[in-house]
Amino acid sequence: MSRRAMEQPRRITDSFPRRRRRGPGRPPGRLKNKKDKDKDKDEVQLKVRDCPRAPSQPPPDPALMEMLRRFDLSWEYGPCTGITRLQRWERAQELGLSPPGLIRDALLEHRDNPDVTYSLWHEYEL
Amino acid sequence: MFSEQAAATAQGLLAPPSAEPPTFPRVAVSGYSDCSQPFQLGERSFARQYAHIYAVRLAGMRPGLERRARSRWGNDVVLRRLSELQEGEKCCVVGTLFKSMQLQPSILQEISEEHNLVPQPPLPKYIQPSDELILEDELQRIKLEGAIDVQRLVTGTIVAVYGCEQDDGRFLVEDHCFADLPPPLPWSGPSSDRYVLLASGLGLGSVSGEALLSTQLLVDVVTGQLGAEGEQSCAAHITRVILAGNLLSQNTQSRDTINKAKYLTKKTQAASVEAVKMLDEILLQLCTSVPVDVMPGEFDPTNYTLPQQPLHRCMLPLASAYATLRLVTNPYQASLDGVRFLGTSGQNISDIFKYSSMDDYLEILEWTLLAGHISPTAPDTLGCYPFYKSDPFILTECPHVYFCGNAPHFQSKLLQGKEGQRVLLLTVPDFSATQTACLVNLHDLSCQPITFSSFGADSEDGDMELEH
Repeated sequence: MSRRAMEQPRRITDSFPRRRRRGPGRPPGRLKNKKDKDKDKDEVQLKVRDCPRAPSQPPPDPALMEMLRRFDLSWEYGPCTGITRLQRWERAQELGLSPPGLIRDALLEHRDNPDVTYSLWHEYEL
Repeated sequence: MFSEQAAATAQGLLAPPSAEPPTFPRVAVSGYSDCSQPFQLGERSFARQYAHIYAVRLAGMRPGLERRARSRWGNDVVLRRLSELQEGEKCCVVGTLFKSMQLQPSILQEISEEHNLVPQPPLPKYIQPSDELILEDELQRIKLEGAIDVQRLVTGTIVAVYGCEQDDGRFLVEDHCFADLPPPLPWSGPSSDRYVLLASGLGLGSVSGEALLSTQLLVDVVTGQLGAEGEQSCAAHITRVILAGNLLSQNTQSRDTINKAKYLTKKTQAASVEAVKMLDEILLQLCTSVPVDVMPGEFDPTNYTLPQQPLHRCMLPLASAYATLRLVTNPYQASLDGVRFLGTSGQNISDIFKYSSMDDYLEILEWTLLAGHISPTAPDTLGCYPFYKSDPFILTECPHVYFCGNAPHFQSKLLQGKEGQRVLLLTVPDFSATQTACLVNLHDLSCQPITFSSFGADSEDGDMELEH
């Protein structure tokens, strides 16, 4: 212990986990989950960074994206907000509206690309 | 059921106790299967709009309605969507009804600061002569007028209307039809008399304890602890008890603790805690003797939106030790001895009652069966989970017994359909108000009320009566 004290002045707070500095509007009751929140933030960032760089599939071409957008906007298959495109395709299939199988193949091929799986209005809440 | 066989053996009560008291084994349970999987929600996500449930409802019921329209108005009737309507052409349109009501409580009006309005007090009925009916399909909507009863219908019903569009943009209805009775289920009921007891609205935890004695009498009758040998042998034919909602009283719902200061409410506990303890003790007595299905109701500690999920078994520690206790969802569907039961705790019927001119609970129950949907007003005025894949409230098969709980009176009717459907429509009365339960005979779909009254105000000799 005394050797360490001679090398560098160590503080008790060095053993505490690192926190990101937030603005003054930080809600007071969140001290317990701060560690988890930071961990989640790191994980989420890692995930987003990984997806487009995944070398397993090439990015989908614009024609495919245009076809998916048209699938979203076609009124025959019902509302498109709030559910993934695959869920909407399967619902249309069960109701007997015969959606084109090409779209399902494309959705399954690019399953981990959020631009493909989620609908056009995904960024907007509800 | 009880009076015919009981009277003969009444003398047995005055005789000295016999060496070997007779035993009556309860009729064995055979063939129970729970069919309420569509009403059980697993993981719930509320990040969706209600447009999905309406779209699925229309898409799901459209084929059936088109078939009905062809059979009613001829095979060559023109079926059009609203976007394809031509003025003056007689055609048939299938769509969802929307009733725009002036008195309908609207949250936007309540919080609107410009109007400075006091929130509207709850009324028994919200209908007015100025209400209008509008038909909506996937893309457009059109106002309806003509041979269609605006006061009677409610929002959310899928209907097929026959008529023509007029030059002022309204649709003149000459005739309309609903989905009608769903296809029948094969009948495989029991060969001997078997009874199911239905009761609802036990109302535990209320301020007055008048109904508690009647509840105890009900439990005693079912477990065979009441009456002479005749009554006990009759009670042995009861194979199941279904409690259709509102096990707790409305008094347990008081939210004073939210408005009062913290120091006043620190030591108080919710009124529902005591009431659930009482419920647990009553269910324990019942479960030791007969299988019980417990459905949650409007005032019970479970979620508010339909379909209500089963009560959690941790609230009933004594009774859930028995396998005879089944905690089930609010629209409840099960096959008991080959007879299909389908029923709710009454929220759907009372919601239609508020927004329609129909006054009779049995009439509303029959109307929901003919409209092909258990609760058309969900999600407009009745809370509902935002389904997106399919609407579980659409009736796909015709049940044999269709009941609703917490009705003001006992009423029953045997409905015969054109395709051989036979449905017993049953409104189970509120037990805390009427002290009446229902006995359904699974053999011939007959039904009788059973009333437990005690020490009535006008009764002079203070006798306990068990009458029906």
